[in-house]
Amino acid sequence: MKLSKLIYSAGAVLTFSTLSTTVLAAGDTVPVKAMADALHLVMDSDRSVYTRKIVNRLVKKEKVIKASEHFEDDKALVLPAQMFRFGAELVQKRAKKLPDVNFTYSLQSLWPINKQNAPKTKAEKEGLKFVADNKGQNYYTEETLGGQKYFTAVYADTGVAPVCVSCHNKHKDTPKDDFKIGDVMGGVVIRIPVGM
Amino acid sequence: MKRFHLSFALQLVLLFSCNASIANANPDALIIEFDSKKLQAGRSIWIDNCKGCHAYGTADAPVPMNIDDWKTRVIKNKSVLYEHAINGFFGPDDTMMPERGGNPDLSDNQVKLAVDYMLELANFYIHKSTN
Repeated sequence: MKLSKLIYSAGAVLTFSTLSTTVLAAGDTVPVKAMADALHLVMDSDRSVYTRKIVNRLVKKEKVIKASEHFEDDKALVLPAQMFRFGAELVQKRAKKLPDVNFTYSLQSLWPINKQNAPKTKAEKEGLKFVADNKGQNYYTEETLGGQKYFTAVYADTGVAPVCVSCHNKHKDTPKDDFKIGDVMGGVVIRIPVGM
Repeated sequence: MKRFHLSFALQLVLLFSCNASIANANPDALIIEFDSKKLQAGRSIWIDNCKGCHAYGTADAPVPMNIDDWKTRVIKNKSVLYEHAINGFFGPDDTMMPERGGNPDLSDNQVKLAVDYMLELANFYIHKSTN
């Protein structure tokens, strides 16, 4: 059974805390929204730990190494956003070998430095605009792509460090140069197939 | 005497009657105004420079409307809070407060006014919760 089929049920009440100690019985389900929220919580927490315990500590506090977009040339740490993207790419690659695991995630922006990270679907565009216009709120919807129905969630990605904001504002390819700390600069899009 | 929006009592009831983090709610109505001219100036600076993170708990920034976030901070010497806000600060978990909230154009006095407002806001919610 596909994971998405297992988790997609609007009326289900099983929580992830329950999941951790309970073997799922036939018919038990987890709401797809809870699944998306849990995935995002893991992603965001891992990224925060990398930012704080690796980048902030080694670059800002101990000043022993730099973090750079051109990390290979500069022999530097990858930026937190790059770490996030590399993780997304690896998940997508590994998930191909796991037929029961079927979801994708990406970091996108209405103002991308790399045009590949611009939203493509209507849901992505609406979701990124919603989280930028409604700080503190997430966006959830369903969309059908290529005949497949998906649950799509968008979570705000906020600029929290001066270097995030200044790098985006000064980058030669940026379409927006007036970001401030605390501004929503993009969003994490999680897409889970449903009704399979 | 402190002044606040008419709908504030209802918002306060909602705030303290659910477990949801205030960081997930629209905080605008909770960013109340006080009568003092200095606090009004501080509120304006806070909204322009601090709200983006501190109103939502972004990157675990302490939210002044969340009592647990501030009950240990309000008892600190104010000079420590000023120093952290002006020069930046790494917390015990390597969380980072950028110097001057990331706005180098803010003067020391402007940062202090914003800190004063955030402290007053935090104290307001702490006192409300205990009354």
